[in-house]
Amino acid sequence: MSNIDTNNSPVIESGQSAWIKYFGGMALASLPLALFVDDPNWLNIIAFTYLMGGLASSWNIIGGFGGQHSLGHGVFFGIGAYMTAGLFVNYGWTPWLSMLIAAVTAAAVSALISWPTFRLRGPFFAIATLAFNEVAFVMANHFDSVTGGPRGIMIPFKAGVENMIFKERWQYALLMFGFVAIVVAFSVWLRRSRLGYYLLAVREDEDSARASGIHVLSVKLQGMAISAAFTAIGGALFAMYLRFIDPPTIFNLQDIGVKFFLLSLIGGVGTVAGPLLGAALIVPFENILRVEFADALPGFNLAVLGFLMVLAALFMKRGVVGAIQDLIQRRRNKREPS
Amino acid sequence: MKKSTALAGIALASVVSLVSTANAQTIKIGAINPYSGPLALYGTEVTRGYEIAVDQLNASGGLLGKKVELIRGDATNPQQGIATVEQLVTREKVDLLLGTYVSGISMTASDAAMRYNKLYWETNAVFQTLTERGLPNFIRSGPDGNVFAVTSSKVVRDLIAPALKKDIKDVKVWLESEDSVYGTGVAKAQKQLLTEMGAQVVGVGAHSWKSIDLNDTVLRAKQANPDILIQTGYVPDGNLMLRTIREQGWKPSAILFVGTGDTPETLEAVGASYLEGVLVVGYPRNDIKDSYGPGNKAYLAAYQAKYKKDPIAPQGMAAFSGAQILFESIKAAGSVDPDKVRAAAQKLDKPEGTYASGFGAKFDDKMQNTRASFTASQWQSGAMVTVYPKEAVLPNVTLKPLGRP
Amino acid sequence: MDQILNVLVIGLLLGGIYGLVSIGLNLIFGVIRIINFAQGELVMFGMYGCYWAHVQMGLSPYVSVFIVAPLVGLLGVVIQRVVLQPLQSEPSMQIFATFGLLMMFQNIMLALTGGEAFSVGGSLGTEVISLGDTKVSMVRLITLLATTLITVGLHFFLKRTMLGKAIRAVTQDKRAARVMGIAVERIFLLTFGIGAALAGLAGALLTPIYSITPGIGGNFIMAAFAVVVLGGLGSVWGAYLGGLIVGVVEAFAGFYIDPVLKSAVWFLIFLVVLVVRPAGLLGQVGAEEVGFREQH
Repeated sequence: MSNIDTNNSPVIESGQSAWIKYFGGMALASLPLALFVDDPNWLNIIAFTYLMGGLASSWNIIGGFGGQHSLGHGVFFGIGAYMTAGLFVNYGWTPWLSMLIAAVTAAAVSALISWPTFRLRGPFFAIATLAFNEVAFVMANHFDSVTGGPRGIMIPFKAGVENMIFKERWQYALLMFGFVAIVVAFSVWLRRSRLGYYLLAVREDEDSARASGIHVLSVKLQGMAISAAFTAIGGALFAMYLRFIDPPTIFNLQDIGVKFFLLSLIGGVGTVAGPLLGAALIVPFENILRVEFADALPGFNLAVLGFLMVLAALFMKRGVVGAIQDLIQRRRNKREPS
Repeated sequence: MKKSTALAGIALASVVSLVSTANAQTIKIGAINPYSGPLALYGTEVTRGYEIAVDQLNASGGLLGKKVELIRGDATNPQQGIATVEQLVTREKVDLLLGTYVSGISMTASDAAMRYNKLYWETNAVFQTLTERGLPNFIRSGPDGNVFAVTSSKVVRDLIAPALKKDIKDVKVWLESEDSVYGTGVAKAQKQLLTEMGAQVVGVGAHSWKSIDLNDTVLRAKQANPDILIQTGYVPDGNLMLRTIREQGWKPSAILFVGTGDTPETLEAVGASYLEGVLVVGYPRNDIKDSYGPGNKAYLAAYQAKYKKDPIAPQGMAAFSGAQILFESIKAAGSVDPDKVRAAAQKLDKPEGTYASGFGAKFDDKMQNTRASFTASQWQSGAMVTVYPKEAVLPNVTLKPLGRP
Repeated sequence: MDQILNVLVIGLLLGGIYGLVSIGLNLIFGVIRIINFAQGELVMFGMYGCYWAHVQMGLSPYVSVFIVAPLVGLLGVVIQRVVLQPLQSEPSMQIFATFGLLMMFQNIMLALTGGEAFSVGGSLGTEVISLGDTKVSMVRLITLLATTLITVGLHFFLKRTMLGKAIRAVTQDKRAARVMGIAVERIFLLTFGIGAALAGLAGALLTPIYSITPGIGGNFIMAAFAVVVLGGLGSVWGAYLGGLIVGVVEAFAGFYIDPVLKSAVWFLIFLVVLVVRPAGLLGQVGAEEVGFREQH
């Protein structure tokens, strides 16, 4: 697997430079929210983009930095969504608290299910994680006293900050922006921390990493736990935004479980900015395609999306971030006389 | 100087008012349905019902003196339901919303519409919670899931039991359904109603409609030795189930499908001779008596003229009738404001048999139309023939044997 | 208890179906090392192709398979050449691309057919061999036989023919194979083509059994992945065995426990097997260590 980082910049950038880029990037990312603050239609799309960006960034912690392509993050997403919705509807617990409890729960569950599966590599690992998503779906349908079963859970509209239910779409968009800002900030920090270096080492060459004394399994578990915790928080936000969740919605692979992976890929897997860029590219685009094309011929919008995904893969092999880096590199080469 | 600016101002004002009255000359209705994805066929069919109703409405003078324009909004999951409502309300400036083949989408879409205080008129989705949650802008003209159960239980008691020459207390039933909210909800209600009637429910089973194999389901049902198999599901599992029943050599005395199984898709799968005798509870079809559903033949003709083929599924006519009840409510209210329409709809008191699908109009306090029912049809020589309730049945129709050939 | 034989037969026949769908995937997965998300759609194309041949020309799927399967195989070659080969150095992007293909294929068929379910009825679909309580469906039996024959054939092809040995060489070590003078890219093209043709063939044989919808590929793909991994990467007999095991477990779980829980049951067993034998049942020990890194 090619390493976006070492290919072009053998020297890791300074901490200052990384944080400057972060604040600059986040300021840029907040622009759409500011620009469209009066347009609920766009605010909805923007909010969803931030949320998916945050979820993809959460996945990226173990999937990108750690190189463990989990396709089962829907499980953690579901834990966040169901715990938050259930505790709110049944016991009136504030989602701000429940989401933290769900995050811890998801981290614990992740350790439990990852510990046996982390001995698998590459495609084996990915397929095994898919199995977890399927099992979770069946369980959510079956244990209906807890999850509402196929009926799902409906959260009535009781506006209030303590309920995480807002009247205005811009408030939701701000909440989602906060989420992605926090996850990306964490990614910036993680990237330069010891755990981050270990994760990258494991991604690059697991055997060499082990040989140089890194406790590979522990590193993977830690990365997975953090990733799962953030994903659960994203699930909680999703539940409070939609205010209706059911197993087919939560454990849907194409829209949720595998989506985090896809967005990170097209944005630039393993980079800090990649997942959010991927979300910014795909989510609004999906919406536009659906509005323009969906009723022409059924499914036409998704056929076009699929086609463009294939093209994007072919022309942006290392995602958006990789394409930007290539562009910069080409400019540099032009300037230097050879 | 002042005079010319004043004149310019008046000219501008009149142009602006002309433009805005031009916009206000149409009432825009957003039609939310899955137009893509696996349920596109039925989502489109439902909207065709709306389109025919709108055509007829515009031909007879429109609504509140204005033409009605239907604008489609695609949504294939609950998240898209929100986005589509945003799109329709803020971009297309629709005055109200109409939908929806899928309950989960209706759930979030109607909620999003509430934030804008726009009416959400539901014609097809059956999930009980949609009306039970008490959303002020939500009105449902079509039957809810419970009615599937009510009709199928009545069919067991009034049609099947006599045909099998059994008392209802001696009738044994196996309830099978697909495992999502639709199937399981109906099955739960069916169990309750049938048990109340005195029938013996020997088992309740569920399966995924995407199942690759239903042998286990069929064998479990066969083992319980019921007289009647009732299946509530979608087309792929219904077809596979019939094929599996045939393969396993099981011959229940009667098979009753609920909701699906009434389209050429099923005919093609198992063939007319095996399908002979199978009963289907569903939305009223186009072969009902005109006294039961006035205008049902006219709907058929209009559909064939506009789309150049036969209706794909009867959900469309229910949508058509639902849209007509909507238009009447708006006319009575003199407005599209949800509170006014709600008040006007609540005053409606039309008997069953007023509309093409046999519906009446009488809304309970949760704004659920209590006069919307299903009918039961039987496959006879490769065609679906309405056999229940007797008010709907054409004179020369008889009930053919229910057992397997 | 009297149903045990019947359930076993059902399970074995179901295993034949799973095995058939997985064979092509196993080859692609084993040799080229990519997760082909679009494999189910290739099966779907096989089904639609045979349906079309049946409606337009009155051909039975067992006849039109000889045209449909190679056509799907050709599509596979095109996919490998145009989409996957250029992405050789980015295996994650290959997965992304196959996902894009999945969406394209499913939705093109949706746009063309409107989503209506098509079926090839016919008398062949109904023939059943009755052994008392145990019913053996003819079309499923034919499927199981085909799966067995193909597995045997593939095994001999890989073991005995030069081409097969070249494929195995590439599977084991791409770089060394290249050094040995094997045209690796051609092998990949051939492998994907065969894998796709096998998917098309699976579609043909399954046409008399199922109602065809644009999304039907998705119903098989999960099980197919699990079977391939369970059987052991690259092992032809492993996939066959894995299919049978999954089929039998599913049949027993569905009948004796609950049809709703059956997929969870065999998924759990799948996970347990992986924990105990990470390489799969018949995979080479150490094969699970093969990540993406190895192939570059």
